[in-house]
Amino acid sequence: MIKKLIISVMILFGFSTVTIADVKIGNPMARTGPIPELVKPMSAAVDLAVEHVNDQGGLFSDGQKYIAVKVDSACDPVAAVDAVTKLVNVEVVTGIVGPVCSGATIAQAESVSIPAGVVTLSVSASSPAISEMESNTDLVFRTAASDAYQGIALAELAMSKGLKEIAVSYANDDYNAAIAGVFTKAFTSMGGKITGNEAHEPNKASYRSEVNTLGAGSNNLALFAYYGSSGITIMRNAMETGAFENFIGADGMLAQEVIDQLGAENLGNVTFTTSASDSSTDAFKSWKKHADAANVPASDPFVPNSYDAAFLMALAIEKAGSADRSKIAAALREVANGPGEKIYPGEWKKAKGIIASGGSIDYVGAAGPQDFDKNGDVAGLFSKNTVVDGKWKSVVIK
Amino acid sequence: MWESFGFEFINFYFIPGLVLGCIYALGAIGITLTFGILRFANFSHGEIMMTSSYLTWEFIMIFTSLGILAHPLIGAIPASICAILLALFVDRFFYKPFRNAPTIMIVIASFGMMLIIRSMVQVIWGPNQLTFVKGIAKPNEYIRDLTASFDFMLLIPNKHFSILIGTVLIMLLFNYLLSSTKIGKGMRAVSDNPDLAKVSGIDVENIIKATWIVGGFCAAAAGVFLAMDTQFIESTMGFRMLLPMFAAAILGGIGRPFGAVAGGLIIGLAEELSAYPWFGDGPVISPGYKSGVAFSIMVLMLIIKPSGLFKGKVF
Amino acid sequence: MDIILGYFLYGMSLLTVGGIYALLALGLNVQWGFAGLFNAGIAGFAAIGAYTYAILTTAESKFHYGGLELPLLVGDVMAMVLAGFIAGVIGLICIRLRADYLAIATIGIAEIIKLVLKNESDITNGPRGINKIPRTWEHFSEERFYSSFPLNVINSSDSWQIFFESIARWWWQPFFAGTIILIVLLTYFLLEKLRTSPWGRMMTAIRENEMAAAAAGKDVTRRRIEAFILGALIMGLAGAFLGQHLRLIEPTQTFDPSKMTFLVWVMLIAGGSGNNKGAILGAFLIWFVWSSSELVTNGMIEILASIFDSVDISILKNRAGFIRMLFIGLLLQIILQRYPKGILPEKRPAVSGKI
Repeated sequence: MIKKLIISVMILFGFSTVTIADVKIGNPMARTGPIPELVKPMSAAVDLAVEHVNDQGGLFSDGQKYIAVKVDSACDPVAAVDAVTKLVNVEVVTGIVGPVCSGATIAQAESVSIPAGVVTLSVSASSPAISEMESNTDLVFRTAASDAYQGIALAELAMSKGLKEIAVSYANDDYNAAIAGVFTKAFTSMGGKITGNEAHEPNKASYRSEVNTLGAGSNNLALFAYYGSSGITIMRNAMETGAFENFIGADGMLAQEVIDQLGAENLGNVTFTTSASDSSTDAFKSWKKHADAANVPASDPFVPNSYDAAFLMALAIEKAGSADRSKIAAALREVANGPGEKIYPGEWKKAKGIIASGGSIDYVGAAGPQDFDKNGDVAGLFSKNTVVDGKWKSVVIK
Repeated sequence: MWESFGFEFINFYFIPGLVLGCIYALGAIGITLTFGILRFANFSHGEIMMTSSYLTWEFIMIFTSLGILAHPLIGAIPASICAILLALFVDRFFYKPFRNAPTIMIVIASFGMMLIIRSMVQVIWGPNQLTFVKGIAKPNEYIRDLTASFDFMLLIPNKHFSILIGTVLIMLLFNYLLSSTKIGKGMRAVSDNPDLAKVSGIDVENIIKATWIVGGFCAAAAGVFLAMDTQFIESTMGFRMLLPMFAAAILGGIGRPFGAVAGGLIIGLAEELSAYPWFGDGPVISPGYKSGVAFSIMVLMLIIKPSGLFKGKVF
Repeated sequence: MDIILGYFLYGMSLLTVGGIYALLALGLNVQWGFAGLFNAGIAGFAAIGAYTYAILTTAESKFHYGGLELPLLVGDVMAMVLAGFIAGVIGLICIRLRADYLAIATIGIAEIIKLVLKNESDITNGPRGINKIPRTWEHFSEERFYSSFPLNVINSSDSWQIFFESIARWWWQPFFAGTIILIVLLTYFLLEKLRTSPWGRMMTAIRENEMAAAAAGKDVTRRRIEAFILGALIMGLAGAFLGQHLRLIEPTQTFDPSKMTFLVWVMLIAGGSGNNKGAILGAFLIWFVWSSSELVTNGMIEILASIFDSVDISILKNRAGFIRMLFIGLLLQIILQRYPKGILPEKRPAVSGKI
C-alpha cells in the first residue's frame, strides 16, 4: 500500500516537470490578487509569443520547444519568492518573464533570481526603485517604462485640467508608494499644492475615515491603488459621502471592473493614466495584425509589453546558443539594442535565420523600441483614459 | 452642509457604527448560543457568514438569468436555508464525535472547519472579489428631505435602512422564540444546566440542532447585511469579523444572547467612533488600528470582569 | 545533472523549512504538551522573532529602522528574548483563562502584533516589509561580512570576493539546512532533559490534575507562565530563521495565522502532542505533505487536462493552492477523529529510582 502510494506520488511529481529536451522559462504573473482582470490579456500575449516561436521553428537547430511555465505570483512579494524559488530550483528555468507587480519583482529578484544568476525580464513592473536596485549585477530588465516618467506626466495632466490643489492617497506597497512619491514631487515643483498625503492599507472593507480626513482639504483626489484591493472601495466611499469630485490616478486603477462596479454615470470626472504604445509605428502595426487574429486586445495596458518580453527572452536564448543561464543577460542586450537587422513582433523565422548565419538583430517591439539602458530600463509613452460610452477611452500623451 | 452641528458625526460615523454594530450583533448571537449550549468557541462561525453571502450572490445570479426580481434580500432566503443545512451537516460529521471529548478537540475541529469552508468557497468561486451590488448607494431622498425640513439632514442610504430594520425584526423574532416557545425554553434550560435539562426530559440533541438553525440563520443574516453594506464579497470577510464578534459575545456575557447584541452594538460604535476627530483635526487612533479596538475591549473585559456586562457564564 | 541539482536544492529547502516548523512545533509542545495551554497565536511570536532579527541585523535603509548591523547571533538571541518577553506580558494577563478563551485571546494578540507591524512603518516599513535580511552562512559571501571581522583576518576583502564568485552559487544551502537541523536536535535534547526533570514532572502533574497539584502546594500559575515563555522563546528563534530563509518578511502574508498557526497545530496533533519526537516527526511529515502537495496537485491537474481536452485548466491551476488547503483541513479532521493521540503517543516521564 505504501509502495503504491510512493510510486503514484512520484509519477505525479514527474508529470509536473517536463521532458529534458525543451527550453523552459518561468512566467510568474499576478493571476490572482488585486488586478486579475489586467493580467489575463497579458498572459494571453505571452502565450502568443510562445506560439509564434514554436510554430516558426522552435529554439536552436533541433527545434526545441519554448515553454513558459506559468505560476501565480499574486502581486505579492512572498508568493513571488515562493513561486520563483520552485521555478529556479525545481523547473530549472533559463530565465524569468515576469512578474507583473513591482513589489513581487523586487522581492523575487533580491531573494531568488539574482543570487541564482537568473535573468528577470518584468512585463510591467514600473517602480522607479527597480532602476537602482542592482549594485554589481546586470540581471534585472523590464519592457515597461519606469513610473519616474508617469508620475510627471500625471502631474502635468492635473495642472492642465486646472486642478491646482489635490489630496493624495496611496496604497502602501512598492508600486503605488513610489509613483505617489514621484507625482507629489512633480506636482509641487509645478506650483501645485498637496493638501494631504496619506497611505492607506489595502483590503479593508471601508475607507470612510481615510476619505473623510483627506476630503476636508480638497475636492480633488490623486488615487494610487490597485482597483481590486482598495481602489474601487475608496472611490465608492468618496462618492457616497461626496468627499471628492475629481479623481486622477495611474494604471492600477484602469480596469473595466471599475466601471462595472461604480457605474459609468458616476465616473464623469475620472482620468487615469497608463503606459501606452505608439500605434503609428510599423512594429505596432505588425503586432496588431497578430493580436487581432489571436483575439488578444492589442492596446490594453501592458499587453504589448508582455508579448515583447516573452519574444525577447526567446531571441536572447536563441542568440546565446544554449539554455545556459549565464549567457542570457548579454545576449538580451544584443538582441534588444542592436545594431542589427530590425525584427518586428511575429518575425521569429526571420530572426532565427539571421542569428544562425551569425548576424545581429535589433528587436523593435510592440510597446516601443525596447532598447535597454544601463539599468535595464526602457523608454515609453503614456496615455490618459476617461470613461466614454461605458468603456475606457485612451488618448496617447505625446 | 458640512458645518451644521453633528451632521458629519451622525451621518458618517454614528450611523455606520450602528450598522456595523448590527452586523456584529447578529453574528455574536450565534457565537454566544454555541458557547452557551455547546460549550465551545466556534471558529468557523465567520465562514458560515461568508458562505451565506456567496450563496446569496449565486442565487441573485440565478434569479437574474431567470428573469425574477433579484434583490439581495430575496436571494438571501434560499441562501440562509443552505447555510443552515451546512451548519447542521458540519455538526453531524465534524462536531458530534466530540460531544463528550475534552473541549479542546472540538475547538481544533472548528479551527479546521474554518479553513475547509473557506478553501471550498475559494475553489468554487475563486479568491477575488465579486461585486454584490453595483453602483453607488445614494442617501434615501425621502428621509433626507423629511429631516432637512427639521434643519437636521439625515443621510441614510436604503441599504443601511434595510440593515437596521432587518436587525430589529430578527431581534423581535428571536425574543419571541426564546421566551414563548418550547424550543426556546429548552435552549435556555440546556444553556443553564445541561444535566438537569436532560433529567427533566429535554431532548438535548434536538436543542443542539435548534441552536445550529437559529445561529446559522443569524449568521446568514449578518453575512448578507455585511455584503449589502460593502457591496462586494471576498473570501476573508468572515474571518475579519470573527474576532470582533467573539469580543461582542464576551463583552455581553457568554450565553446571554441579548448581551451579545448589546456587545455587538457597543463594539461597532466604538470601532467607527475611534476614527472620529474628537480632539482637533486627526482621528484619535490611526485608522489602521481600528480593528484593534474590538480586541482591546475584549481583553479588558477578560481581565476586569470575565462574566461580561450581563453576567454570563465564565466556565 | 541540472535536474539532480534542482531536486537536491529542493530537498535542502524542505529540510530547512521542515526544521523551522519542527522548532515551532517543539515550542508549541512546551506550551500545549507540557502545560496544556491552547496558544493560537503562534504566528505572532514567530513574527516578533523574525522582525527583531531583521531590524537588528539589516543594513541602513531609508524605509525602516535599521542600520544597526549587529552580528547575526545577537539577532538570533534578541529574537528569542523579545518573543519571550512579550509572552511573559501576555501570560501575566491571560494565563488563567480557560482553553477557548486563551485561544481567542492569543489569536487576538497575534492580530494586534500584526497590526502594529503593519502600521508602525517608520520602524518596520509597514506592509512592504523588510528585505535583504542576512542569511546565516550565505552572509559570508556578502561584502559587508567578508570585509569585517573575522573573515578579514583570514584573507583580504578582494580575495574573498574572488573566492565567492568562483564557487557554486548555492554552496551555503546545505550549511544553512544543517545548522537548523542541529538546533532542532539541540532543542530536542534540552527539552527531553527538561521533561524528565522535576520541573517537567510537575508540569505533567498540573496538566493532568490541576486541583490536586495546587492542593499539593504547587504555584500553578507561575509554572504555566514559565512554560508559556519557554515555548515562546523557541518560537521566536524559529521566526528568526524563517526571516533568514525568506530574506523578505512582511506582516500580512508571511505570518498568516491560517497557514502558520494552523499548520503547526496539525503537525503537533498528527505527530503526537506531548511527545517531543512526535512534534519533530509531525513537522517534517506534514511539511513534506504540504509542500509536495503543490507538485502533486499540479501533476493531477496536468493529468486531468490531458484526459479532458476541453477543460480550462488555468482556472484549476490558479485555485490549486486552495485545493491543497482543503485537503490539509480534511486531513486534520481525519486525524482528530481517528488518531487523536497522533503517530507517537506521549511518553510519561520515567519515575525516578528513589521513591
